[in-house]
Amino acid sequence: MATTFILNGKSQTVDVSPDMPLLWVLRDTLDKTGTKFGCGAGLCGACTVHINGEAARSCQTPISAIAGKKVTTIEGLSVNGLHPVQQAWIAEDVPQCGYCQSGQIMSAVALLAKKPNPTDADIDDFMSGNICRCGTYQRIRKAIHRAAGTPAGQAKSA
Amino acid sequence: MSLALPRRTFVKSVAVGGVTLLVPFHLLVRPYPDADGTGASAFAPNAWLEISANDQVRIWCGKSEMGQGVRTSLPMIVAEELCCDWRSVQVVQADLQPKYGEQLTGGSLSVRTSYANLRKAGAAAREMLLSAAAAEWGVDQKECHAALGEVLHANSQRHLGYGRLVARAAKLTPSPDPPLKLPSQFTLIGHPTPRTDTQLKVSGQANFGLDVRVPGMLIACVDRCPVFGGSVRSTNAEEVKKIQGVRGVLDLKSVHLTHHFGDESGPGSRNYTCAGVAVLADSTWGAMQARKKLKIEWDEGPSAQESTASLREQFQKLVAAPGAVMRNDGNFEKAFASSAKKIEAVYEVPFLAHATMEPMNCTAHVHDGKCEIWAPTQIPGAAANSVAQALGIPRENIQLHVTFLGGGFGRRLIQDYVVEAALISRDAGAPVQVVWSREDDVRHDFYRPASYHVLRAGLDASGQIVAWFHRGASPSIGAFYNGTGISPQGAAEMNGPDFPAFGVPNLRTEFALAQSGMPVGYWRSVENSGNQFVISSFFDEVAFGAQRDPVELRLAVLGPARKISLGSDGTIDVGRGRHVIEVAAEKAGWGTPLPKGTGRGIAAHVGYGSYVAQVAEVVCDASRGILRVQRVICAIDCGQAINPSGVQAQMEGAINFGLAAALKSAITVEHGRVQQSNFHDYEVLRMNDSPPAIEVHVISSSEPPGGCGEPGVPPIAPAVANAVFAATGRRIRRLPVRSADWTKA
Repeated sequence: MATTFILNGKSQTVDVSPDMPLLWVLRDTLDKTGTKFGCGAGLCGACTVHINGEAARSCQTPISAIAGKKVTTIEGLSVNGLHPVQQAWIAEDVPQCGYCQSGQIMSAVALLAKKPNPTDADIDDFMSGNICRCGTYQRIRKAIHRAAGTPAGQAKSA
Repeated sequence: MSLALPRRTFVKSVAVGGVTLLVPFHLLVRPYPDADGTGASAFAPNAWLEISANDQVRIWCGKSEMGQGVRTSLPMIVAEELCCDWRSVQVVQADLQPKYGEQLTGGSLSVRTSYANLRKAGAAAREMLLSAAAAEWGVDQKECHAALGEVLHANSQRHLGYGRLVARAAKLTPSPDPPLKLPSQFTLIGHPTPRTDTQLKVSGQANFGLDVRVPGMLIACVDRCPVFGGSVRSTNAEEVKKIQGVRGVLDLKSVHLTHHFGDESGPGSRNYTCAGVAVLADSTWGAMQARKKLKIEWDEGPSAQESTASLREQFQKLVAAPGAVMRNDGNFEKAFASSAKKIEAVYEVPFLAHATMEPMNCTAHVHDGKCEIWAPTQIPGAAANSVAQALGIPRENIQLHVTFLGGGFGRRLIQDYVVEAALISRDAGAPVQVVWSREDDVRHDFYRPASYHVLRAGLDASGQIVAWFHRGASPSIGAFYNGTGISPQGAAEMNGPDFPAFGVPNLRTEFALAQSGMPVGYWRSVENSGNQFVISSFFDEVAFGAQRDPVELRLAVLGPARKISLGSDGTIDVGRGRHVIEVAAEKAGWGTPLPKGTGRGIAAHVGYGSYVAQVAEVVCDASRGILRVQRVICAIDCGQAINPSGVQAQMEGAINFGLAAALKSAITVEHGRVQQSNFHDYEVLRMNDSPPAIEVHVISSSEPPGGCGEPGVPPIAPAVANAVFAATGRRIRRLPVRSADWTKA
């Protein structure tokens, strides 16, 4: 069954089973491997993408629900790899193994779109769906504050 | 005078993976695999580096990158002695080849075992370039100086970039023993350096095992017997084969595992039975869905009798009887019997899964008596050995590419998933990527063993510890691989020299081997992960019993600064061990008042060539049963730190990793089956439980480099447990901490 949607600004049509999760359409059908598989159950956040600007777990989103929508993946976050959040991640030397980081960045971008100057409590609430086993959480917080333009030391905590 | 050096351009346009990026040049890293040819004019005096006529420097990383930063730290060592421009270095992941030496990545050994060789490699090349320049100019080599990728002759103010010298240098012979820099001359080593792979990892372009794509590749998902050691009795394979998109249903019998670390009885190996049924399809989703249609009857085997409760019963019997003696100083029984005060406690920790973010996977292509493998593996050599044995082909016929690893933590030291992929590819007659679900990954791990400990300490009238006894029982990694071909001491998941050895005159440590069907393996810091929780928590109990401050007592037991030789196992430098405790305590404000319900706890560990101490500050809200680690102070002395920023990251990471074990995670077993399956029931640490502040103090020196991957893990659980005691008066004797263990009794 054919489904058409916008991926990173370009129209895409895929002919797959309607129940195939967007995650696997991206990774296998469209060869966009930047979005990662971590749990298949919406528990780890590694598969986070934006659907119509909102953070969503692509492993829990069947392709049938994507028809006509705009999807942004890590590959499409910026044309030149210089999105402020990616730059903040680079400046704070955030990633270790890096496997969770596509999802972390996509979640962080969505958070900042909603809350341009998040508190530490906002960050905890929004980002706790993204697991990092390497433990880069402190640097993720710093990078989010950096991208928001709020120095970590001045950030309000709940 | 022309300066035909390609100086750093601020921004460079690069096509990477089909996407054009404008990348600040100093961040430019080519993704694996590197497609550039090197050309005949490249200078490659050893396996580790190559300089081309256009000044491009490539440095190979011979260890697996799993987040610990070897793709930065190891090339830094080469680049330091090479005196190249770090910003022009391109890091290349080494395939499995003999010229890279030992490629096993684990034990916090990468820097320690590579340091000398990589320095020599860089230095030898630098000397050849100096020679080449001197010859070019007709001057004495002693008047020439190498820096930032060029050779300078100060007297005549001439300089040449390395690229101009490679043709001449390539004709020279490298020295096996070139002069090395003094640490005071380091411009790169010891300086905080951004990672070389960050650009790839923030843009979705780092290729992990699951991202490998080989033309004609099939995807395989495997249903493995949920009871360890069981086998397939019957399946509905024929039915599943008929599902659209399914390209095969195959039996998987057993894989051969090599215990690469070995012990005094020699390297062990075993056929590890992970019987199952593999479903192959054209797509990952197709394979996952088709696999759900499998109906398998299992012959569960004897492990079906095992449970967490039955193992605990076994543990309790084991610690009630003498075990294998690991250490016996003085006379514990006598000293304990005559002690003024006796303290005794039982501690226990569960099995733990690794739960790397990237589930296990491997891609293999078996054809024409050869095998090509793409694996996120920490042990490429043993993996290739195991594959060769499984397929019955010569080892030389195996090509193994190491991808980025989405976490390792020791899980990827086991080659099961690599051998599986090779067997399935052979039987399928096609390239195959075996994809493990998260459920597969949680249920078919090689777990950190559960353990059970009894400890006794005797105090004299003045509050000195005069007697210490520790008997631990657990399944053993050594025994799992070596069976009976290993001594009891070799099998032991305990270390005789562990603190408080050398500080208590009458000390005995014993280990009792438990029988279990659970597959066990190395989990970041291995036996220290459980043992240090036990030792440092019981020590804190003893300090409380002696009415002495834990820091004061710890330093007293450590004794004066001195070096204790452990023979071939190295040296304990007590002064360095004392210093990290003093630094952590001082930075934590040890002894200053805290609000009610907040406590501080301290723990320390000596291991992997490094010295670590941590203080945790924990807020315990008994009315809500909520515990929050609000601050961790960590002091690490790792000798010569290669990349202090990387050391800091490793401590932060290890603390978060250890906190998951302290607060969240447990694997339990019922009817021989692991009960957990995904992150809802195998909980790990999330952002909201991660401390707001982790302060790392890196004590660097010109002592030989110590390891940094693991030492940060052992102290955090006891530091937190001790802080909980300080806050609530409730002693934590098992992990993970449950609120019932410290809220109102």
